[in-house]
Amino acid sequence: MPWNNQNGGGNNKGPWGNKGGGGPWGQGPSGGGGGGGNQPPDLEELLKRSQDRLRKAMPGGGGGGGGIPGWAIMLIATLGIAFTAFSAFTFRVNPDEVGIVMRFGQYVRRADPGLHFRWPPPIEEVRFPKVTRQNTLQVGMRSVDRGRGFTTAPAGSETSHMLTGDENIVDINFVVRWQIKNDRVQDYLFNIQNPELTVEEVAESAMREIVGKMNIQPVLTESRQKIEQDVQKLMQDVLDSYGAGVRVVEVQLQRVDPPQEVIDAFRDVQAARADKERLQNEAATYANKIVPEARGEAERILQAAEGYKQQTIADANGQASRFLNVYEQYRKAPDLTRQRMYIETMERVLSQSDTIILDQKAGGQGVVPYLPLDQLQKRTEGK
Amino acid sequence: MKAFFATLLVATGIAAALAYLSFFIVKQNEQALVLEFGRPVRIVDKPGLNWKYPVIQTAQIFDKRILDLDTIPDEIIAADQKRLRVDAFTRYRITDPLKFFQAVGTEDGARRTLGPIVNSSLKRVLASVSFQDIVKDKRDELMKRIAQQVNDEGKDLGVEVVDVRIKRADLPQQNSKSVFDRMRTERQREAAEFRAQGTAEANRIRATADREATIIKAEATRKSEILRGEGDGERNRIFNEAYGRDPEFARFYRQMQGYEASFRPGTRMLLSPDSEFMRYLGNPGLGQTKK
Repeated sequence: MPWNNQNGGGNNKGPWGNKGGGGPWGQGPSGGGGGGGNQPPDLEELLKRSQDRLRKAMPGGGGGGGGIPGWAIMLIATLGIAFTAFSAFTFRVNPDEVGIVMRFGQYVRRADPGLHFRWPPPIEEVRFPKVTRQNTLQVGMRSVDRGRGFTTAPAGSETSHMLTGDENIVDINFVVRWQIKNDRVQDYLFNIQNPELTVEEVAESAMREIVGKMNIQPVLTESRQKIEQDVQKLMQDVLDSYGAGVRVVEVQLQRVDPPQEVIDAFRDVQAARADKERLQNEAATYANKIVPEARGEAERILQAAEGYKQQTIADANGQASRFLNVYEQYRKAPDLTRQRMYIETMERVLSQSDTIILDQKAGGQGVVPYLPLDQLQKRTEGK
Repeated sequence: MKAFFATLLVATGIAAALAYLSFFIVKQNEQALVLEFGRPVRIVDKPGLNWKYPVIQTAQIFDKRILDLDTIPDEIIAADQKRLRVDAFTRYRITDPLKFFQAVGTEDGARRTLGPIVNSSLKRVLASVSFQDIVKDKRDELMKRIAQQVNDEGKDLGVEVVDVRIKRADLPQQNSKSVFDRMRTERQREAAEFRAQGTAEANRIRATADREATIIKAEATRKSEILRGEGDGERNRIFNEAYGRDPEFARFYRQMQGYEASFRPGTRMLLSPDSEFMRYLGNPGLGQTKK
């Protein structure tokens, strides 16, 4: 308690006595810069010091200054007093903070960043919660050293394993970003004993509650965003019910995996899914090849048939008209034409044949008609 | 001069000591119980500077904020005999400093007293419902019920339980293994199913394609036969029309063409001189003599 210190401050051997003017200058800036420091030099001691100084400064009083003129000591003393008073009566609020001023422990006002007046402790005390800072909380990871450097928790660790609604286990870790509610700083300071621990426990509890309501498949795949939103909302509701003065800015799932022990089986499902796709694609490739080919073949058959039809008709027409032409002339002299045609035909036929004339009547009795079939065969083979 | 300063110093010291002993500060987040030789006289729950008799009265300060209570994880058995490892945390606040002071004294004392109450209430409530209800269906409701029970039992301690929440409700280590086994077999089944589906689907696609191709070709063949028939029919019609003028001559004409077409070069023929073609071979004046 400050009172205590003041009572004990009766001795005159402060830094002033030992070091002359140098002491306060070395200490001063740190005291002033801190602003919120709870132990600025208190008034009584200051008074005493200045009295001390006065006594020393009087001509022939002490002469301890070693030849330093009196007015210089007076100047230094005045400056020292002014500086200490300044730091005792003011405080500084940094840009990321807000100053919460309490008079005898009771909240009286809040101060925005800048320099402000206050009564020195113990009358008024100031606290500086960092309202603009976003705090990051990693759940399911174990911090190696406090503050920075996170590694993922080892497999099978309690914090990252969660039970899903269909009695499966998932390995989840996530990040919660939270902030002090700017308009509820008092709640944050005065309503809850351990805000950081509370946020962490609520985060874990909320995540497990949400994940516990879902089945493993959606958790692993499409419902990530929904989980994030639901957890954020649930956390906010719970923290609001505590009046914690905390705003959950964001919940972000980092790793959502099946547990290490079964991850191979899950990967195999992915592979199987790919296999299924592959088999289907291969079949589709086959189908895409064979059906158009069949269409082409069909077209070919049709065209061939059409060709045949046209050819047959043209052929028939040609032959018919040839016949009709011949017939026209034939009608004029049937016998003659007939004979001529016969003879011409035989001529053409016989001119290309091996013709043997065999006269059986004219002494042909002795001749046995012998048909050399083997020779005939040879000739055909030879061809 | 010196004596004056000494007196001043002592006076100030005494004044400060008196002030220190007779004033006490209750902070925004605190409440105080004023005791007079151990007898409670009043409760201060407003922050600010307060006065008491020095020495005679003492002020006992209590927190007014929501306080932490983290209980040890405990194994419970749900109504359907399944084991669960449950880790819960509690948030409470001191509502009656006097009762609190009498019952437990300090926060540590509260932790020692309230912790078992929370644990037993947890066990009692969770043992009456199924595993599914704890994990999935009624978690929220169960937590409220537990908080309610703890609150009822904790009333004598001068505290109000704000919330009891289940942080974790997980399977014990040995049960995890069987869950992993089940998960693995489930996935294997799923994988096999996917592969089989793939094969089935592929077969279906191939068969459909084959069928389609066959039908396309058959249809084409059908059409082609019709076309060919049409051609043949037309051919017949044309010939009938032409040959119909004189069927006998047509027959002769065709026969002639037939001879020419069917006797290939080199065909060996045995002819009798009596044949029509040889008519004049040994008898040049045949026609004339007749006439």
